[in-house]
Amino acid sequence: MTAASRVNPLTGLILPVGLVAIWQIAAGTGAIDPTIWASPAAVLQQTRAALADGSLLADLAASLERDLAGLCLGIPVGLAAGTLLALSNLADRLFNPSLTAIRQVALFSWVPLISLWLGSDDTAKIAFVSYAVFFPVMLNTYQAVHGADQKLVEVGRMLCLSRIQMLRRIILPAALPGIATGVHLALIYGWLATIGAEYLFSAGPGIGSALMTGRAQFRMDMVIVGMAAIAVVGMTLNVAAGYGERRLLRSRGGAGA
Amino acid sequence: MGAIKSAPAAVLNEPVGSIRGGTSLVLSHIGKSFAAGAGVFLAVEDVSLTVSPGEFVAIVGASGCGKSTILRMIAGLETPDRGDIRAGGTPVAGTGLDRGLVFQEPRLMPWLTVEQNIALALQNVPWTAAQRSAVIEEHIELVGLNGFAQAFPRQLSGGMAQRVAIARGLVARPEILLLDEPFGALDALTKVRLQTELQRIWQAEAITMLLVTHDVEEAVFLADRVVVMSPRPGRITAIESVDLPRPRDRAAADFVTLKSSILAALGET
Amino acid sequence: MSGAAGHAIHAPRATSGGIVPRRVPRFVQPAWRNLLVGLLVPCALLTVWAAAGALDRLPALILPAPGAVLIALRDIIQSGDLGSALAISFLRLAEGFGLGALAGLAVGATMGLSRLGERIIRPTLMGFVQIPVLAWVPLLMIPFGIGETLKCISIGIAAFAPVAMNSFKGLRQVDPKLMEVGTLYRFSAAQRLRHILLPGALPSIFTGLRLGLTQAWQSLVVVELVASTNGIGYLAVMARQMFQLDQMLAVMLVIGVCGFALDKSLRSAEARLGRRFGGVAR
Repeated sequence: MTAASRVNPLTGLILPVGLVAIWQIAAGTGAIDPTIWASPAAVLQQTRAALADGSLLADLAASLERDLAGLCLGIPVGLAAGTLLALSNLADRLFNPSLTAIRQVALFSWVPLISLWLGSDDTAKIAFVSYAVFFPVMLNTYQAVHGADQKLVEVGRMLCLSRIQMLRRIILPAALPGIATGVHLALIYGWLATIGAEYLFSAGPGIGSALMTGRAQFRMDMVIVGMAAIAVVGMTLNVAAGYGERRLLRSRGGAGA
Repeated sequence: MGAIKSAPAAVLNEPVGSIRGGTSLVLSHIGKSFAAGAGVFLAVEDVSLTVSPGEFVAIVGASGCGKSTILRMIAGLETPDRGDIRAGGTPVAGTGLDRGLVFQEPRLMPWLTVEQNIALALQNVPWTAAQRSAVIEEHIELVGLNGFAQAFPRQLSGGMAQRVAIARGLVARPEILLLDEPFGALDALTKVRLQTELQRIWQAEAITMLLVTHDVEEAVFLADRVVVMSPRPGRITAIESVDLPRPRDRAAADFVTLKSSILAALGET
Repeated sequence: MSGAAGHAIHAPRATSGGIVPRRVPRFVQPAWRNLLVGLLVPCALLTVWAAAGALDRLPALILPAPGAVLIALRDIIQSGDLGSALAISFLRLAEGFGLGALAGLAVGATMGLSRLGERIIRPTLMGFVQIPVLAWVPLLMIPFGIGETLKCISIGIAAFAPVAMNSFKGLRQVDPKLMEVGTLYRFSAAQRLRHILLPGALPSIFTGLRLGLTQAWQSLVVVELVASTNGIGYLAVMARQMFQLDQMLAVMLVIGVCGFALDKSLRSAEARLGRRFGGVAR
């Protein structure tokens, strides 16, 4: 009945190419104010310049360094907290309500407080990133460990596994996919928090700071180059994490009997 | 054969590879209730049963008759509210390596190979690595899965996965193997094939087996005695002996007669 | 051949009525007890905090006493600052969310109902969502300054993506079995839309709206921190500038309560919607 539609990959390009074309034409004919709106050509030129003098890569490196530091702090704490709350009924009832309440406060509202406590340099930014990363990891770990398939846990009981054996051989392996999801989210949120931190804390090297500088100088071309860099890094992290998750699942034999 | 304690750290005194017999199983006036809404639901009421060493007993009954509950109490996953369960003379208190359990689903760890899944049962058995590999290999062969030791559960069919579960249930050399509707989730052909397998395994291992099923034909095919239970509350209504010589012919007249009388007993609830 | 001899078959006893059993965990705690345990940690912390304040061991610049926070809260309520800030913020939220949600629904519906639309729009949308909302703010600040337009668009962008994605997926994921029923009765496209697609997609669409509102709220806070002269975020920034920690903490408390209220009410609405429109085609 239905003829096989020839999926033309070019249809996906119609929109972006069209938009960029309209943009370039508008800039070229002066329909939009060139002192405010950069043209695609200007953006390309700025990209080349920023790459050539190394500023783009230096900024990215500075941001990524901070991102990494925050991840290294936030992820282990999140893992530990999630596991503890999932395994200990008492800890769960004691701490979960408080953590849930704290989580209600929008992420960036913590920035003024952190800036008062820790100042505005790298320490503060890294602390903020760690906080941003903590909750996704903790929540996903908690769900994964808590929700470990009870049927498999019963098998462990039948085999008379000790508490530690049960944890090591059944609960944690069963929870691994969920934990991996938490780490995936941590990568995404961590990068977001890194950029945001650079806006709100004082200047220093970083791609977010470069964006703010570009804005202050009304250099939209710089801003767009920065945006593209942020998007590229975010996308890379996302894809890498997804790939890692799939590899993990495959090596474990996937969803089994 | 040394006596096996029910405690988790069971010490097994026999050398690997010896032929074993099972122990006896005695249930005395077992009762179990569950909370249900405002009231209480009597799942099992005053059940008493004696299983001889090496005997194969099947329990049949409609859903809700408490047969799975009884099995779980023998396994140690639940405790009876009333009454006493003794395995080999020792009171049952929690799970133990002297009692193996095969669930209705294979319940294999998806991230472990067949071999590793079976090895999981040997975590708390004080054998050397060499002894372990030997006994694991022996049981892979026993359930007819030669060559699949390195396969992952997702690569196995339902019947094969269930065989791994049986091997896992037997590898620690329990005295009693409990089976909770092990073939319920399989198609008819695989079911018949595995029933034959199970009979062969029972004859080879010569341990006590207790099978819960809603399939009367399966019960008559495999068991020495068939216990008929009825629900609301769960209790034993009849115990039939199956005196037919093995291997049994499902089409034989006496087989069919026995099956009919048990079905009739089931219908009287 | 000697078959099975007569077997004693016991007659069944009279039985009591049957209830479906529900296995109750052995240590089920009453709800009030859970509440008390949950309050233990915050109460303990509050006590230590208050005690430290009373004993004058709290540098006001690090952590003001809890009493001071409450007083600051009362002050901003009484002075009307909190009220007007919240009014401004919520209005902004409504405008931005409305804009973003509408755009998201339009795009999502186009992609969900038209395969061609999906093929054209989807790659661009995928690329678009890779750019965090935050990254748009400096760009938008160049032409729009820190006026309402900036905030409205930023919040709109935040709401747009979840709404678009969830609407799209919701429409695509309507159970094909149900679609088959429509084919069986020769439904027109409009009938199919009205009777099968829209109701079927409604739970997903609502989820998208909920997620979009959550994102919009988060963006509102950021935008008000970065580029605003009014609103609840600005109250926090002001307190920060003037080193008034007690007021800052009070504002954070209010932000937390607002976020919670928004999320909670949307979730319960979503659950009700799911019960009404959800379920599995048998």
